[in-house]
Amino acid sequence: MVVSMSKRPVILDIDSLRVSLFTRRGVLPAVDGLSLTVAAGETVAIVGESGCGKSLTALAVMRLLPDPPARVVGGAVRFMGRDLAALSEREMQRVRGKDISMVFQDPMTSLNPVATVGDQLIEAIRWHDKVSRQEARTRAVELLRRVRIPDAERRLNDFPHQMSGGMSQRVMIAMAIACGPKLLIADEPTTALDVTIQAQILELMKELQANSGMGLIIITHDLGVVAETADRVVVMYAGRKVEDAPVEALFERPLHRYTRGLLGATPSANRRRGNRLAEIAGSVPALSELPRGCTFQNRCADASDRCRAEKPALTPLLPGRTAACFAAEEELSRHGIAVGP
Amino acid sequence: MLPRTIDFARRFARNRAAVVGLLLVILVIGIALAAPWIYPRNPLRIVGRPEIWPFVNSRFPLGTDSLGRDIAAMIAYGARTTLLIGLCASITATLIGITVGAAAAYFGGWIDEMLMRFTELFQTIPNLIFVLTIVAILGQKLEYVTIAVGVVTWTPIARLTRAEFLSLRDREFVQACRAMGMSNLRIMFGEILPNALPPVIVLSSLVIAGAVLFESAVSFLGLGDPNVSSWGRLIGDGRTLIRTSWYICAVPGLAIMLTVLALNLVGDGLNDALNPKLRDR
Repeated sequence: MVVSMSKRPVILDIDSLRVSLFTRRGVLPAVDGLSLTVAAGETVAIVGESGCGKSLTALAVMRLLPDPPARVVGGAVRFMGRDLAALSEREMQRVRGKDISMVFQDPMTSLNPVATVGDQLIEAIRWHDKVSRQEARTRAVELLRRVRIPDAERRLNDFPHQMSGGMSQRVMIAMAIACGPKLLIADEPTTALDVTIQAQILELMKELQANSGMGLIIITHDLGVVAETADRVVVMYAGRKVEDAPVEALFERPLHRYTRGLLGATPSANRRRGNRLAEIAGSVPALSELPRGCTFQNRCADASDRCRAEKPALTPLLPGRTAACFAAEEELSRHGIAVGP
Repeated sequence: MLPRTIDFARRFARNRAAVVGLLLVILVIGIALAAPWIYPRNPLRIVGRPEIWPFVNSRFPLGTDSLGRDIAAMIAYGARTTLLIGLCASITATLIGITVGAAAAYFGGWIDEMLMRFTELFQTIPNLIFVLTIVAILGQKLEYVTIAVGVVTWTPIARLTRAEFLSLRDREFVQACRAMGMSNLRIMFGEILPNALPPVIVLSSLVIAGAVLFESAVSFLGLGDPNVSSWGRLIGDGRTLIRTSWYICAVPGLAIMLTVLALNLVGDGLNDALNPKLRDR
């Protein structure tokens, strides 16, 4: 799987991206040197607790960071080989929605409440593709069918408040794929939905991706979503990427101690009754009070003096995966596993 | 498009008071439009004995004023002046207000700061005195009165638009529109404005009412256009006789009151009809 994936062309290349928050308390590193690539047809999940910088990363890619306070202070985002930072605002507008689309967390508030679903879809189509209203309408019906909305023709005349959350998210997805994007960024796409609907939406996104070959970034804090959809997982903690691995490998053998904690804190069906979920003690350090060394040290059972003194760099530890963790490194060498890519 | 217009009309019709208001407004507009046909001669012409009370002489159903001019004719022509000034002033005020308010809220930062200080500057000047000053400088003509009234009444619209925009700007659907690649102008006027519009429309209809009152005040003080008939001027002319022939003030006063009331009712009805949340009730 991993090998075939790497042969596909890379569409998004985030290279040591740094986003800072300029606040009254100083400049806070919200995203610190994040690197990430997404290939065509690949699904990358970005996982982490709230405030770890995953949404800011997505917004930075779209160049939609709320400024003030957030600003890109370093690194580059290349899309299909083009440096997005070098584009003018107008050029960027042509990229948004056409080449890179986004689906947001709460579908009920992501649609304009005063316009019908049909009008919004038609507008979305016509904003990028100069087609007649009639043609756009035909395409809108087609799109609604593709996202499995029954009675699509009639649904066009509905207002957003007449739709359920799952329906609205389908419409949002329809709008996002309206112009055939090469990359879809879904920011917590199922968090606001019922569990039964969640699976349907994820399945729908996978299916659309399989048909179109677009790259997909799913931002989530839910490892269940990751397991169901992702090819590769990027774990973020306090603004830094701490682990990057293929999904099966990650679930089988999480390297970073934070990833381990996350997995331990996730309920699963084959956990024995009475076995309590492990929690990660303590809380994420404030961005203004990041410690020297590893940012996870205060919550890590395996933290050594080295962890407290030195910041672990992302190191290729096993084939196809990297992690920034001294404890994992030592553990692997203790078990006689060769550390390296 | 058509079924939606019918839908809108049905929702509007559900508010009885609004329908009454609309009928009244249509009646006033009708009178204003028909004035030259009903009274082909200049309404400021003396036509009969002065101070004939209403309903006494069938030639002058609303009586005559202190100079013997037909009050009914002056009311009919006054409706033209009043409505025209009210409408144009309200449009002027709404355009200025929406532009300033929307730009301030959407762009924020120093643009917001600057525009809002500018708005406050206008707010600190007493409205009537400002109108009178402008009219005194520019001259006593209809257009200038309209501009003057528009220039003093835009501030509440700007502030309301700004407040609405501020609450809408950070909503997810605006973010979604940005992510869709829409331009700032498109988002401001195509997406946010329709959401902000219901309260602004209501306020605009109140501004028409306010403009009618301003125009009356200006004319009452004798600073209106001397060549046209207006309700305020009629009241102004009649004020010296208020103890004996009070109807000279009362008739145009009633006309102003009914028109302002009707405009308010219509605004209320629009508010209900434009709110999508109330659609299914």
